[in-house]
Amino acid sequence: MNTKLLSLNLASRTVNSGSNKVTLLDKIDLQVNEGEFISLMGPSGSGKSTLLNCIGMLDSFTGGGYTFLGEPVHSMKEKNRSKLYKEYIGFVFQAYHLIDELTVLENIETPLLYKNIKSSERKALVADMLDRFNIVGKKDLFPSQLSGGQQQLVGIARALISKPRLILADEPTGNLNSKQGEEIMELFSELNKEGVTIIQATHSESNAAYASRIIHLLDGKIISE
Amino acid sequence: MLKNNLKIAYRSLKKNKIYSFINIVGLALGIAVTMIIGLWIADEFDYNNHFENKDRIARIMQHQTVNGEVHSNETIPLALEFQLRDQFGDAFTHIVMSSRNNGRFLSVDNEVISTRGRFMQADAPDLLNLEMIQGTRNGLEKINSILLSESTAKTIFGNENPIGKSVMSNNEHAMEVTGVYKDIPSNNSFSNLQFLMPFKHWMNTRWSWLENQDTNWDYNSFDLFVELSENVDLTAVNTRIENVKKDNDPRGDKFDPRLFVFPMTDWYLYSQFENGAQVGGRIDNVWLFGLIGLFVLILASINFMNLSTARSEKRALEVGIRKSIGSTRRQLIHQFLSESFLVVLLAYIIAIGLTLLSINSFNTLAGKEVVFPWLNPLFWGVSILFIILTALISGSYPALYLSSFKPIKVLKGTFKMGRNALLPRKVLVVTQFTVSIALIIGTLVVKNQIDYSKDRPIGFESSQLVQIPTSSQEFQNKYEVMRNQFINSGVVTQMAWGSSPSTRIWNYSSGYEWDGKPLDFDESLAQMGISYDYIDALEMKIIEGRSFSREFTTDSSAVILNKTAVAYMGIQNPVGKYIRETEPGPNSVPMQIVGVVEDVINESAYEPVSPQMYMFGSGYGGFYYLRLDPDKTTSESLATIEKIYKANFPNLPFNYDFVDEEYAQNFIAEERIASLSSVFTLLAILISCLGLFGLTSFVAEQRTKEIGVRKVLGATVTNLWMLLSKDFIILVGIALLLAVPLTYYFMSDWIEKFSYRTDISIQVFLIAGFGAMLITMITVSFQAIKAAIANPVNSLRSE
Repeated sequence: MNTKLLSLNLASRTVNSGSNKVTLLDKIDLQVNEGEFISLMGPSGSGKSTLLNCIGMLDSFTGGGYTFLGEPVHSMKEKNRSKLYKEYIGFVFQAYHLIDELTVLENIETPLLYKNIKSSERKALVADMLDRFNIVGKKDLFPSQLSGGQQQLVGIARALISKPRLILADEPTGNLNSKQGEEIMELFSELNKEGVTIIQATHSESNAAYASRIIHLLDGKIISE
Repeated sequence: MLKNNLKIAYRSLKKNKIYSFINIVGLALGIAVTMIIGLWIADEFDYNNHFENKDRIARIMQHQTVNGEVHSNETIPLALEFQLRDQFGDAFTHIVMSSRNNGRFLSVDNEVISTRGRFMQADAPDLLNLEMIQGTRNGLEKINSILLSESTAKTIFGNENPIGKSVMSNNEHAMEVTGVYKDIPSNNSFSNLQFLMPFKHWMNTRWSWLENQDTNWDYNSFDLFVELSENVDLTAVNTRIENVKKDNDPRGDKFDPRLFVFPMTDWYLYSQFENGAQVGGRIDNVWLFGLIGLFVLILASINFMNLSTARSEKRALEVGIRKSIGSTRRQLIHQFLSESFLVVLLAYIIAIGLTLLSINSFNTLAGKEVVFPWLNPLFWGVSILFIILTALISGSYPALYLSSFKPIKVLKGTFKMGRNALLPRKVLVVTQFTVSIALIIGTLVVKNQIDYSKDRPIGFESSQLVQIPTSSQEFQNKYEVMRNQFINSGVVTQMAWGSSPSTRIWNYSSGYEWDGKPLDFDESLAQMGISYDYIDALEMKIIEGRSFSREFTTDSSAVILNKTAVAYMGIQNPVGKYIRETEPGPNSVPMQIVGVVEDVINESAYEPVSPQMYMFGSGYGGFYYLRLDPDKTTSESLATIEKIYKANFPNLPFNYDFVDEEYAQNFIAEERIASLSSVFTLLAILISCLGLFGLTSFVAEQRTKEIGVRKVLGATVTNLWMLLSKDFIILVGIALLLAVPLTYYFMSDWIEKFSYRTDISIQVFLIAGFGAMLITMITVSFQAIKAAIANPVNSLRSE
């Protein structure tokens, strides 16, 4: 199970802030194999979120190379890039980012809608997911009626529904109390055991410990592994 | 996907109630206005569509040049018919001479009803495609025959069979009913045609001296309708008949008459001629209101766009999430368009409700009989197209704009709209208020013009003056008797007779000479016969000389001129001078001018007064004018008058009009435009204000934190109110600057068409500007003050 999922080769990201050039990510070298569970750690501003966003192709590196499943992402057009991430990557956010107007069931179903999956198949997939996360009883509630932990559960279910190869989680427990946070981490380990690759950014040592690999960032550089 | 999109749209609407209310109700109002105007326009275009052969029906008209000015007249002389039949029979399938629309009292036994109809030649039922219920279309062949409309026959005969029965016309002529036709529906040139009688009967009774004078070209008094043969080219026919009158009338050269065929399809909307050229007519109003409808709809759509983009900061996050979980931009555009589709659909349903509620009031206001076209597939087709189009137009900007957000930016929470994003919104607000202010100014100008014309001195005292038509032959030789009875009754202080309504011209004449008449001057003088006391009864003002008087036996050949006529004819010291006929008949004598009177408005309140000649008249055929005693109540006076009338004319219905009410009819068309545009303007302002209200509430919400901070720093409510209102006031100010020159240009053009017109005063612009500002202030202030007086602790905590 040692296929290479992605690799970064001297990947950098610089932006112009006024007349200054600010380096957010500085020549990152990183190989991620399928089935890994990685924690990114570092203080605020160290570049964890930027790195996650760039890997997730919501943002892009401004220098260096990025290969995802053997495809050179750095030389791809925007359109192909978004096709790639939609197919293989799921996002989990600190603030859950559920859609307020949709019920739990509908939130989970939405990615399938965008993939034009047939209604019957959708129903089955969503039902499985609800079952698995034990939230069948909450399927018709709206996000505002759920606790933070429950919302994040839905967020993860939504990220998983389209069977991604990689889950990117930016401070997934940042808005949760420690007990809820633990539950989410347990869930991540379980998912990881089933073969889903996970990269999470976190401040918490204890949460980081669930990962098989911890990467420390400071000022846009990897300082230790 | 669509189902899902609609579901989200519905929930999102439900969640933001104020926003949805403003959006949907605003749009519904806009659509209702457009719908009503649309129905009105459709009805205007539907005029005369009742006639299947409307493309081939036409009337013959003539242009004539008098003193260098071309007049276009509907009426033609008698001889033309024979020329057309003889020389151009191939071009027409039917040629029908007709009287103008005429009133007749029809009676059976002692039951009298007042009806209107025409005297037409035998082909009329074919030309008009009459649907005969009883009898045949040949019913006009016998000279004493009459065709009745279904409802008229029913009123007179009830359920009896009317065929073969006798009906008295004006209590003089016994006519035999030879047919009953189905009522002609409204909205066409022949609606309410209650009877048809033979043209020849009319000639024999009304124009007896023209009997057997088929070649008479002198009287331009007849209507001539034709049906063109199939596949005949209109321009070709026009070229052929153009000079028929000129070539055949011995005096044909005089006014350079040019004949032309005026097709039925143009009668209603394109009936205005200016100097021989067709220059439009009611179609101008159709355009005007079409434009207003479009404007109002645009205003409502702008609300939708503005509110959607104003909410975009809230929606941005959703866009970010959706994009990160796999939505393409195209799918988002679909989603936002579904939302706008739902809004438009809901608004449309409400608009139908509003239309149904208001259609009766609208009909009253517009003088129409528009019905809601439930069963018209065209209406529903247009509706669907309209919904889709409006949804696309009003949804396109938010859809394209919102879907363009970069997910990373909005998810990070650093998303703020740049200054550029505000610009389109500002442009839209300015557009909205430019249109609203323009409508206010336009409406005020129209109102001012109407009021100005209404205030124009009419030239006599029109209140407490009653006119009674005396067209029946029974009035012959009755004048003096009636006058004595009326005056002796004590309710009438003065009475006179005139040959036409006091503010209308029924007759023009020419062919006169007087000392000092310029060479080559073709005069056209309005002519009216009046009795003794007319000038006294109407309280007209004598400028020089005197009124007709019983003391001068020679007054039967005297004449009184109005002030304009004296100037027009160029007569110095007119009283005592003579006017002679250029070709005097055996009995004609020179007419002495005995007096000059102040002008009475005789054509239109918007036009200059025509030169008018008052001759001494016989007391039958026109109107009695009764000046009521101001000390008696009107109802008492009318009851007394009716009693006397009935005692003398038991077989005639008592019809009367108040002269001032009759005169007020002149303003109906313009007043309709004014009241319609007032209503539409009000709605336009309401819609714009709804939008502004919504916008301010979003701006206030957006700036809650800023307001809180400022308040903590010591800002007063007034400071904050100014802060929030300033931007909008500036926008309305810009709109005002745009609207003023724009409306000045267009309204100057509109008002040009009235000869008697007011200036577009500066006040109009001041009122519109001040009004718009005030309305903006009130609308904006409500939200601004609410935000300003809120406790800053709450707003700062909520961040």
